[in-house]
Amino acid sequence: MSAKENLLYVGIDLGTSQSAIVAANGERHVVDSYVGWPVDMVARKVVKKPVLVGLEALENRSLLDLHRPLERGQVKEGSEKDLAAVRELLSHLVGLARAGHQGPVRAAVGVPAEALRVNRQQLREILRGIVDGIMIVSEPFAVAYGEEALLHTLILDIGAGTSDFCVMKGRFPTEEDQRTLLKAGDSVDELLGTLIGERHPEVQLSPHLIRSWKEQHAFVGAPEERIVVSAPAHGRPVEIDITDELRTACESLLPPLSETLIDLIAAVEPEYQERVRQNVFLSGRSSLIRGLDQALTAALAEIGGGRVTRVADPVFAGANGSLAVALDAAASEWEQISEPPA
Amino acid sequence: MARIGGTRVGSRAHARLKRELVAGVIRENLALIEGRRPARPPARPRRLGIPAGALAAVVLAGALALLALPRLSLAPELTAATMIAAPPAAPAAPAPPPEAVTHPGVTPARVAGTVFPLAARRIVIDPGHGGRDNGTALGALREKEITLDLALRLRALLAAAGFEVHLTRDGDHQVSLRERAAFANTLAADLFLSIHVNWIADARGERGVETYYLGPTDDPYLTRLASAENTESGYSRADIRGLLEGIYQDLRQEESAAAATAVQQALLGSLREVSPGLEDWGVKRAPFLVLVGTEMPALLAEVSSLSHPEEAKLLGQPEYRDRIARALFAGIRTYVDRHHPTGGGPFPQRSAQR
Repeated sequence: MSAKENLLYVGIDLGTSQSAIVAANGERHVVDSYVGWPVDMVARKVVKKPVLVGLEALENRSLLDLHRPLERGQVKEGSEKDLAAVRELLSHLVGLARAGHQGPVRAAVGVPAEALRVNRQQLREILRGIVDGIMIVSEPFAVAYGEEALLHTLILDIGAGTSDFCVMKGRFPTEEDQRTLLKAGDSVDELLGTLIGERHPEVQLSPHLIRSWKEQHAFVGAPEERIVVSAPAHGRPVEIDITDELRTACESLLPPLSETLIDLIAAVEPEYQERVRQNVFLSGRSSLIRGLDQALTAALAEIGGGRVTRVADPVFAGANGSLAVALDAAASEWEQISEPPA
Repeated sequence: MARIGGTRVGSRAHARLKRELVAGVIRENLALIEGRRPARPPARPRRLGIPAGALAAVVLAGALALLALPRLSLAPELTAATMIAAPPAAPAAPAPPPEAVTHPGVTPARVAGTVFPLAARRIVIDPGHGGRDNGTALGALREKEITLDLALRLRALLAAAGFEVHLTRDGDHQVSLRERAAFANTLAADLFLSIHVNWIADARGERGVETYYLGPTDDPYLTRLASAENTESGYSRADIRGLLEGIYQDLRQEESAAAATAVQQALLGSLREVSPGLEDWGVKRAPFLVLVGTEMPALLAEVSSLSHPEEAKLLGQPEYRDRIARALFAGIRTYVDRHHPTGGGPFPQRSAQR
């Protein structure tokens, strides 16, 4: 926070499944990207709030009109309710970060590398009135900036909706330096659900159940142990071994990720390709899949070898980086990109 | 100094670099606020060959001159290398070809396009419709938005592969067919691809992909389709007459057919993985004015049918659109690799399509 101006700077990673905020006053929060409104007056009395966000919304979902308003890293199209849900989510995040701060807030928000201009503009519109200054940044670029990996590096930020790439070449990255794939955590969940359903048709599955199994046990390569989970079947809990399905689902990320890595590296100037290959960094919640960094390192052997390393704080790396950009922008630069309140 | 990885730089250079990066973020946000595309650093020159527009003029002149000769097999000294070595015309716009001279009793030999390999590096992508012209629509899905989304995805893929890519529109703008063709001609593009989504009014249970290149047709359906697409073309009747009189030059038509075939095969191969019932409606000729007005190989891809409920649902999914874009990319790559093996440039030696 700037003592002179009583400004609070925050960095936001608005994710399909989880959103994170990091503030200059030290506040750090991660929230599940769910918003729910009580379905009727009875539900309203039970939950005691007009709107619930995050884990609280998930836990009370039977009483709520529940929304997961982001898809592929961007606001779902065509739904006013999802727009309202994003506003509630962002208000909630900023409220958490304020921690009593009353003054103006300036926010830098990360978006997928190839987010369309119309989606970035939409996000600016949504944020007007919630914060006093808005900056939109590419998510993998924000990670690179926050990690100070600014030259001859490649960032791969793997979330739920998108996997975003950014090659840092010692200048502001262009569109050609960045890529967004729609293969990420959600596609793993989808495939996992399909595979388990095919093998165990009697088991009752839900997206939340599948996601929780993945988040607890996700891996690529050789399993350390068999993964057995409990799931209901015709009302009774049964134990099912999901090791092979989980491995297949997680490994489905490897071909598109490694191919895109190789494509981007091939577009780097030849004399710098070796350096970039040795400096590939993973961030994002889905980068926590066990063995993913080693598997991608092995994939780079095809082009002469390389090294893929997960950053120290993959869940907050995007928000940290966005905050770093926000703090480093001069007051005059913030003035340039300020718009009148909505 | 940089904390992790990459290349370490001195503290001053590091600070300067960070300043530049923040300045880049501010530029992008200013462009967002002003509703314009952010300025990009000028593209590094990538094209290694002679500009294709000028080369096409030389080649075409040479081809027509050859047609005037008695039928002979090409002597080694009249190979492509000799033709390409001819000095290029200075202006980017191709010079009009000289009138063909034929000898009585001689049937001109048609010269295959592959005899004269051309560089193919500059591609214009044309997202169909735009502005007040929605194209076809179903609920919230509008053709103009789908084609723009596909074009942007395709542009990213092509640019990453080393192509120079331009769009006839990069937003929801009204652009006449004439302006689209003129844009491509001014750039002296090597290939023009127009992206559209189909609507089959009287057969909504059908789903397929089809790709067109310019040429006459006797098919009344295609004539009606072309007429519908040709509305608000920006051309006068006199313009159209002039265009039609000169368009069906064998070389450009052959190249266009080759490109259309490659794209059609790639689309079918990829989209059938998701929609096994997708029909192959083939590669066809039709007098679409957007293809007629261009001076380079040109094709129009109808990548899906919004009239089919299942297709419409898929078209609403970003992942399916990504698949379409990758298939278009694969088709273009196939065409370039097979028909322009001397295209040059550091193409990644991998298949783009999975």
